[in-house]
Amino acid sequence: MIKVLPRNIARFIILITAQIIIFNNIEFSGYINPYIYVLFLLLLPFETPKWTLLISAFLLGLSVDLFSETLGMHTAATVFMAFLRPYVLEIFSPRDGYESGTFPRVAYYGVSWFTKYAFVLILAHHLLLFYIEIFRIGGFFSTFLRVLLSVIFTLGFIVISQFFIYRR
Amino acid sequence: MRNLLRFIVRHNFIIIFIFLEILAFILLIQSNKFHRAKYVNFTYSIAGGFSKAFVNIKEYVSLREENRKLIEENNKLYNLLKSSYRTTTFNAVPANDTTYKRIYLYIDAKVINNSTNKQYNYITLNKGRNHGIEPDMAVVSDKGIVGIVKDVTNNYASILSLLNRKFKVNGKIKRNDYFGPLSWIGKGHTKAILTDIPHHVEILVGDTIVTSGYSAIFPEGYMIGIASSFKLKGGNYYEIKVDLATDFKNLSNVQVVKNLFREEQIELEKSAEK
Repeated sequence: MIKVLPRNIARFIILITAQIIIFNNIEFSGYINPYIYVLFLLLLPFETPKWTLLISAFLLGLSVDLFSETLGMHTAATVFMAFLRPYVLEIFSPRDGYESGTFPRVAYYGVSWFTKYAFVLILAHHLLLFYIEIFRIGGFFSTFLRVLLSVIFTLGFIVISQFFIYRR
Repeated sequence: MRNLLRFIVRHNFIIIFIFLEILAFILLIQSNKFHRAKYVNFTYSIAGGFSKAFVNIKEYVSLREENRKLIEENNKLYNLLKSSYRTTTFNAVPANDTTYKRIYLYIDAKVINNSTNKQYNYITLNKGRNHGIEPDMAVVSDKGIVGIVKDVTNNYASILSLLNRKFKVNGKIKRNDYFGPLSWIGKGHTKAILTDIPHHVEILVGDTIVTSGYSAIFPEGYMIGIASSFKLKGGNYYEIKVDLATDFKNLSNVQVVKNLFREEQIELEKSAEK
């Protein structure tokens, strides 16, 4: 097993940099913003202590917020996502549980498993994020459309990235 | 205590989650104007309902205390009232305003002697030259005109009352601006006569008679009285009986009106006559 901590820290930095420099500037038809930085939370090891999960999610969201001047929005969404992650993992777990020494990645558990797992968490993240952003009930459905489209794009980027950065 | 600790340890995941979420929302509301406005609106609308009910109850319960406070305050204000003091200096200072030019300056005074039963009645005021009062200034009460300053000493002023055969003022009918001299009829303290109104003018009983302001003594449009009856005199001019608005029997507080431009007007009129 390769050292997990430095690898995750490196991933944290790379993902945030990519998000801020590239993906924050992508805006398909003024509607869709992919937020690929959540990949960091998706790829954390199974054995990650739950409090570490929450704290790292908090730091992740805060870093993105600091650079996109939306203090609090991403933080709330990522913390919520980290909170859901253990339960989602439980629901999608294989019959005999997750093997030790594996990671929640396409390479270990297949595209369909990863897509389902990622979809639920990304949806939760985006829902909270977009509704916090508008902060009211009015325009519920147009926001919902934005959420769905953004989820599709984020999911697409994340799943495809798994094939490019292919490492066991 | 130990149970509490155990509870916290067992549910540390949820507790940390809630704590971090709250932290995130605090950050959100603290640093984003739009979200803060929304949040404040929301909390106000909720808190508003509660506090309204609460305040209603509290108001009723503390009525006694409020009454006591009001009485105290009333007392204090009574002590500040002008009637509790005697003025010794002239302290009405004309304001230096560059957009508005002040024309009239009002000096309040108190009647200290008054008569109504003679043919030549005079009123004495408790203020004089030291307070800025000069001859030929108008004297009015809150109801209507009173007279004209005739003589002043340092601390007192003598007023030619409207109830004086020598008194004349230019009055006009407020409704149609026809003017004429107005003077006392010589008996009683409630009636005066407005003369020289042309016969074609329509006059109604109840018409308001006000000062015309032509003499540069009285401000224009100041109340004199109300027409009570009228008749044609010599076929050409109306003579209108006027019920005076001022009650000369209970005169006590009056205002002396100083026309700050009077000298300029008089000077101009004199030079035009030459």
